[in-house]
Amino acid sequence: MTPEKPSDLVQGTLDMLVLKTLALEPMHGHGISVRIEQISKGVFRLNAGSLFLAIQRLQREGLITGDWKPTENNRRARYYALTEQGRKKLSSETREWERQVAAIARILEA
Amino acid sequence: MVSLRVISIGLRSLFRKQQVDRELDEELRAYLEMAVDEKMRLGMSRPEALRAVRLERGSLEVTKEVVRSAGWESFIEAFWQDCRFAARTLLKAPGFTAVAVLTLAMGIGATTAIFSLIEGILLRPLPFHDPDRLVLLGDHLGGRPGMSVTAREIAAYSSATLAFSALGGYTTASFELSGVSVPEQIDAARLNSQMFSTLGVRPILGRVFTAKEEDARQPVAVISYALWTNRFHRDVQVIGSSIVLDRKSYSVIGVMPGDFEFPLGFGHLYRSQLWVPLSLTTDELSDQHSGFWGYHMVARLKDGVTLLQAAQDADRVARQNMRDFPASLSAIHINGDVRLLRETVVGEVRPVLQTLFLAVVVVLLLACVNVSSLLLVRAIRQRREYALRVAIGASSWKIIRKSALEGVLLSAAGGLLGLAFAAITIRTVLNLLPGSMPRVNSISINRIVSGFALVVAVCTSVLCSLAPVFAAVRTNLIEALKEGARVGGSASHTWLRSVLVVTEVAIALVLITVSGAFLRSVQRMQEVDPGFRADHALVASFQLPLRQYPTDVAVANFNRAVVEQLSRKPGVTATAISNTVAASDVSPQSAFTVEGLSAEHWTLKFAAFTSVYGDYFSAMGILLLEGRTFTVHDDSHAPLVVIVSQSMARECWPGQSAIGKRMHVGGPQNPLPWATVIGVAADTKVPRDKPSIEQWYTPMNQPATLYGAGTPGNLSDPPTGYITLRSSVDPGSMIRTLRSTVAEIDPLLALEDVQPVTEDISAIEAPRRFNTELITAFAAGALLLAITGVYAVMAFSISQRKQEIAIRAMLGADRAGIAKLVLISGAKIALIGCGLGTLGSLVASRLVSSFLFGVSATDPLIYLACVLIMVAMTLLASTLPAVRAASADPMEALRSS
Repeated sequence: MTPEKPSDLVQGTLDMLVLKTLALEPMHGHGISVRIEQISKGVFRLNAGSLFLAIQRLQREGLITGDWKPTENNRRARYYALTEQGRKKLSSETREWERQVAAIARILEA
Repeated sequence: MVSLRVISIGLRSLFRKQQVDRELDEELRAYLEMAVDEKMRLGMSRPEALRAVRLERGSLEVTKEVVRSAGWESFIEAFWQDCRFAARTLLKAPGFTAVAVLTLAMGIGATTAIFSLIEGILLRPLPFHDPDRLVLLGDHLGGRPGMSVTAREIAAYSSATLAFSALGGYTTASFELSGVSVPEQIDAARLNSQMFSTLGVRPILGRVFTAKEEDARQPVAVISYALWTNRFHRDVQVIGSSIVLDRKSYSVIGVMPGDFEFPLGFGHLYRSQLWVPLSLTTDELSDQHSGFWGYHMVARLKDGVTLLQAAQDADRVARQNMRDFPASLSAIHINGDVRLLRETVVGEVRPVLQTLFLAVVVVLLLACVNVSSLLLVRAIRQRREYALRVAIGASSWKIIRKSALEGVLLSAAGGLLGLAFAAITIRTVLNLLPGSMPRVNSISINRIVSGFALVVAVCTSVLCSLAPVFAAVRTNLIEALKEGARVGGSASHTWLRSVLVVTEVAIALVLITVSGAFLRSVQRMQEVDPGFRADHALVASFQLPLRQYPTDVAVANFNRAVVEQLSRKPGVTATAISNTVAASDVSPQSAFTVEGLSAEHWTLKFAAFTSVYGDYFSAMGILLLEGRTFTVHDDSHAPLVVIVSQSMARECWPGQSAIGKRMHVGGPQNPLPWATVIGVAADTKVPRDKPSIEQWYTPMNQPATLYGAGTPGNLSDPPTGYITLRSSVDPGSMIRTLRSTVAEIDPLLALEDVQPVTEDISAIEAPRRFNTELITAFAAGALLLAITGVYAVMAFSISQRKQEIAIRAMLGADRAGIAKLVLISGAKIALIGCGLGTLGSLVASRLVSSFLFGVSATDPLIYLACVLIMVAMTLLASTLPAVRAASADPMEALRSS
């Protein structure tokens, strides 16, 4: 079975996915992209450019913070964690997303 | 909140760029290593893993760029880089940059300097509370625009008018200030107690005087900030201390703020240093004095009252006032009127300042055009570079931005330098301003003026960048590259350059025709015979303190001593004392009645009178046309005599000799004694560009001519006088003789304005010369800019056509022919520019015609001369490039390309 080609993300959802990923535990850039790939079962593959842009954006909005920490392989990496604001943002974004998905589903099923 | 964080993070990356970059680098490297580790765990070799990661995740270098350029700060960074790049490019061409910056600095500096005059004089509100509601209230007298009132009218207007919330009265005065240091004659004003509250000003120290103090004639004084600073070294103890005015003690009760100046509008010839209560004397309020319009009133309009309503109200009260006139004034008719105080102060200088401002803006415009065309030439030279950069992917926006930035940088540098230049100019020009210019001490480089310079710099940068940006936009990539060595030949650019130069020639022509008309006016003024000989004459003014000289007799003794002792000095040929020098429209004036004219036919007219002691006509060099001059025998025992001016003789006794005719001061009802005309003197004219007024002279020894038989022996006003002296040697060398002689007679007396009459006259005629000099300086600047503009464009176009010219030379064109070619294109520019300029001058002539004297603003001779100068200068500017073109070695020219 040949794996399907990775899809492009729906516009504007990357920020939400990064927030969701970080909601579980603090994570560095590579970890975030690996986790998103794993959870999406390879549907979403992140380009480094988009990922770090999203990280910079979220950081500037105060939704996540970054700290340098050693990794399990004894490297130094920047670990990002959700802030209180980021947590709120994630829950509101998630609700909004579910609302929209439900609406779209209703339209498609009609 | 969020935006604050965005800004602070942005600022951090802007100012701690290296650290932020390092962190990003490190993070991405860690990211890469982790991704590679993962691939290697799957069994790939390291190079394979690296390649796989790049394929999957994209190039990390690109990522770095993407992340870096996402923040807003990256725009600033790019801008900063562009700035540095533009600055570097400019510094690589130091000659070009210096010329451009200096040109702009001159333009911006001159404009800023003139603007600072406008700001200080016209735009700044008068230093009073709500000054736009303040009006000058006064009488129109016999159709004259003078706005003054009599002493009695101050009370009448104050109580009977309804349109004003407050009214104050004042009159100017002058005191001898002594007791602190050297005695000094200072300008002052007598104010009634309502004046300060009408103006709405408070002292910074102490208080102002009350109505009670005014009524009780208390000797109290409020002093100016300048006097407080200069004489009392800002000592707060000054309140309650006493000063000596006209040798009488006054106690200081207040100090006014530094910007307070009142009355305004006399220029720096008169600036009041202290204010004392008006306290009108019984003499001033007497019938005899009631025809003296020597007082002024300032009033504050009630809310909602218009100027017109106020004028009607004033006129109503004026009619009541007329009914209260004594019989001697019954023939006089007055109209009450009000004018905005601001207008009375600056109304006269406004058109001049506006014209100067227009002129200087024109110069600035020329500076912009010059710099613009310099930038354009550069842009054209750099076209291949641009084209190349566009070809390898630079956006044309980026190239335009760079061109524009060069203009901005040049203007910024020019603006800063210009501001410094303006500050220096202002300091020197303030001393050169004509004495009649009002509010001179409010002129300075302040925040408003600096802001103006900034705005001007921004505007110039836009103007300067227009042409090069236009050129950059029009750059045709393929053409520019294809043209090979021949850059700048494109028709549109040549056209643009020509338009710029023709504009310059036209604008410069407008300014030089205006300046020509101004210069000719000065010349015409100097051709006018002033009616007296100013050379070899010296003048000094003085004011005798009333305490020491309380009677006519004391004054007469002083006069006699001065004239007698001065006449004995070697080198002195004639000496006199008079109440005015070279009578003009600011001299004391009076109405008069000619014998034989019935009261019904009498109309109010004024003539200047000069009361003289000694040989005034010889001392001033005034020609006597008929009859005789006064002698020592024309004293109080002899019949009253007068000498009239030629124009007065002609006006009063047309077609007949004035000698033997009789006249007296005041209206026909005035019971003053008749005086007989014994001589006719030439008209004197100062300044020479104003029509002369009718004048007559009376001997100082016959005060009855002016005051009637009931002359009190005691004086009410301190007598002011002028000593005039004619010498056979340079009058400047007589100043010491004059001073020492007067000091022998009264060592305490302060002599003011001791100077040759020529200097006195030139001070009075200064406004016209000042305007003319400024306009001429601007015109010279404009001419210079236009000429350098023509030269630059010509030289550039020759350098562009070097090959073409070389080929022509090779094919046998002679050198003269080549030079002619260049000169012809110069002549074309000159002629088209002059044609347009002449049209512009015709438009400008309407604006300036009111400033001219004895010459029409459209005088064809001036136009012709200016056009000739312009054409000659343009051709001259084209000559050097033409000669260079003709003398170039063709082989050299061809090889160098």
